[in-house]
Amino acid sequence: MSALSGFRILELSNGVGGEYCGKLLADFGAEIIKIERPGSGSATRSLSPFAPGVDGVEASGLFAYLNTGKQSVTLDLSGANGRAALAQLLTRVDAVIDDHAPGWLADIGLDPAQLSQCHPALVLCALTAYGQSAPPERRHAEDLNVMHSSGWAFHTPSASPPSSPPLKGPGRFLASYESALDAALCVVAALYEREVSGQGRFIDVSTQEVLASRVDYVLGQMVAGDMDVSTSRTALDLFGPAGIFPCRDGYAYIWMSAPAHWDALRKLLGQPAWMDEFPERWLERACTPERVAQCRAHVAAWLQTQDKETVSAQAQQLGLTLVPVNDVRDLHASAQYAFRGYFSDVQHPRLGHARYPTVPYQLSATPARIRAPAPLLGEHSDATLASLTESAR
Amino acid sequence: MSTTPRGGPLQGVRVLELTKVWAGPYAGKLLAFLGAEVIRVESEGSLDVTRSFGVADINKAPGFRAVNPQKLSVQIDMKTGQGIELILDLLKHCDVVIENLRPGAVKRLGLGYEAVAKVKPDIVYVSMGMYGTQGPLSYQTGYAPCFAALGGLSALVGHEGEPPAGMNIRYADSTFGTAAAYAATVALLHRRRTGQGQFIDVSAVESMTSMIGDAVMRHELDGSVPACDGNRHADMAPHNAYPCRDGEWLSIAVSSDAAWQQLANAMGQPRLAMRFASLVERKANEVELDRLIADWTIGHDASALAEQLQQCGVAAAKSASSVDLVSDPHLWARGFFREVSDGEGGSRPIVGPAWTMTRGAEIRDGAPRLGEHNAYVFGELLGLSPDKQQALAAAGVTR
Repeated sequence: MSALSGFRILELSNGVGGEYCGKLLADFGAEIIKIERPGSGSATRSLSPFAPGVDGVEASGLFAYLNTGKQSVTLDLSGANGRAALAQLLTRVDAVIDDHAPGWLADIGLDPAQLSQCHPALVLCALTAYGQSAPPERRHAEDLNVMHSSGWAFHTPSASPPSSPPLKGPGRFLASYESALDAALCVVAALYEREVSGQGRFIDVSTQEVLASRVDYVLGQMVAGDMDVSTSRTALDLFGPAGIFPCRDGYAYIWMSAPAHWDALRKLLGQPAWMDEFPERWLERACTPERVAQCRAHVAAWLQTQDKETVSAQAQQLGLTLVPVNDVRDLHASAQYAFRGYFSDVQHPRLGHARYPTVPYQLSATPARIRAPAPLLGEHSDATLASLTESAR
Repeated sequence: MSTTPRGGPLQGVRVLELTKVWAGPYAGKLLAFLGAEVIRVESEGSLDVTRSFGVADINKAPGFRAVNPQKLSVQIDMKTGQGIELILDLLKHCDVVIENLRPGAVKRLGLGYEAVAKVKPDIVYVSMGMYGTQGPLSYQTGYAPCFAALGGLSALVGHEGEPPAGMNIRYADSTFGTAAAYAATVALLHRRRTGQGQFIDVSAVESMTSMIGDAVMRHELDGSVPACDGNRHADMAPHNAYPCRDGEWLSIAVSSDAAWQQLANAMGQPRLAMRFASLVERKANEVELDRLIADWTIGHDASALAEQLQQCGVAAAKSASSVDLVSDPHLWARGFFREVSDGEGGSRPIVGPAWTMTRGAEIRDGAPRLGEHNAYVFGELLGLSPDKQQALAAAGVTR
């Protein structure tokens, strides 16, 4: 038995955040009934990447990734029949996950404010960009906008000149994935308490807050008045010679902040003369912009002649924190990922075979596991709706 | 004192932290925000650097206080055999232990999973490492930006056609901590239903890769190797940050044809709406469209323009500086920023949880002073007599 087997969760999500949250629960054996719009299905079915040669609602690799191990039931929630089926489903599930805009849940008859009266045992979790109380001027948001309103984009990359546009961060959906982690944490915590109390609760996750809380080490100092706030693009930065440098076969990242790192670099480079020009413990005590620039120039010239993987392994042996900047090929080829079984082989009826990335935690007694490929649109409608009719008799 | 019940879903759960710096403490903080009693083991001899970094008073270290609200602190020296025994005794009264010490350190100390499970068989043991505890690269260490580089994130962050610049240097630790907190909670639920504890091995690098799972998946489907893409999005255009007055920036994401028409109208250029009516046309001309939008935004106030675009249904938001963040009224209204006790009769603002929930945990205290809860832990939890406590202190075990 896995950790969440036996729990039944209704997923009303239509976006990456809610679907990833459902997937995190499905990996531990929860039964996820995903409600999709008849015809076009979830909005993520129309988002790339698409498998070559596959058309229509089953072509999205994004949907396939986010919805492994779930059941798909098509219901038109704008109609009376759909609403009636939803009402019945709500009496048979332990939790509900949604990521529509605030107000939508009330529109379909599941008003969060009425939850404790109407569905006292239900755990209801809503992920939205700004929370249920979002003011009108924050009504519309994509992940890009939340990366900006949370402060990450303004301060990315580190050391950005003020004239260069802020960057959104990696990929398309980091904001949604982050929000899903907090949502899954809260849902499982709520189920934990419900085991004893039998009571549900409403959980209101704000993606802006999830992202802003990820920089709590700095933001907490700022809000307490311990650190200056400013309109500077570098307000979150640490200064020093750390950074990304080109190698022969890609890029490497080097971190240097302590004498041990400097000593390790000296050993690795064979005691070069240029390092003697730096005062002792300069990284901590005399880290001037001029020295940083000088140091970076020497490191850059050296790393240009190195291969990222090899030089990183040599550096790590000496205690220097140097690592390769991996691209997706490197991840698929990683010996460490292979050892931990980070990729999982999944056979999808339309998309075929692929290695799916999994999750970063290994649980010895209840490992997370992709139990089945993502469902075809409406694949489980008949069985699920028939079981409702039967139980209604 | 933080030892009276605070409610919340994890009330009654006790967590012991053998953690350093940010990622491990962040995991503990999330569990504390959900109602768990979280105790940090500290000692003068191996102080967390965030306690001492750039400050004279270790009880008022800004970095430590930022990440450790609503926790308890007990002093136990892990370099002494008696200290290790004390920790093992304490673990008998705990449900979860979180460690993010250097690779192999807990084992060398006699606090590895096997040792702990011997005294507390149903413990939920969370181990956090850059690469996890085992495997060919598990000996390697690094800091947050290393996690992002190794996990595949840094390679994607940069302006189009330029070398990677990477995410802001602060990113990674807290994401890693959240993944650990989620896994711990799953294991707690399993234990509640079966009585079985377990060992959890969390990888920082993998926690990063899971933030770009779809990009990794794309490679499997079409062999593509994504590179720096500036602010581009395969399924939306325009999608970028645009310069405004006074060095401010405005993010705009056009996610539908209707939103594009609204944006073109707002710009006073309705013919653009007709010319680039579909996503395909907008993607093919996005450099030109970005230029036109930037020409329009440059003379405007970012907040005012965001509000104007929101009114007509366009997803827009000002790019928030640190001033914007701490003065955001919405974040204060929701209790994301909130006041807690500073332990000296006053109050102090903290970064609170990113969620609200019915029957949530009360969050009332700031970060603990070093050893603030020694008496509670040694006296109430372990039942040590005052004499015994004094003897331990005199021997330096509880310094």
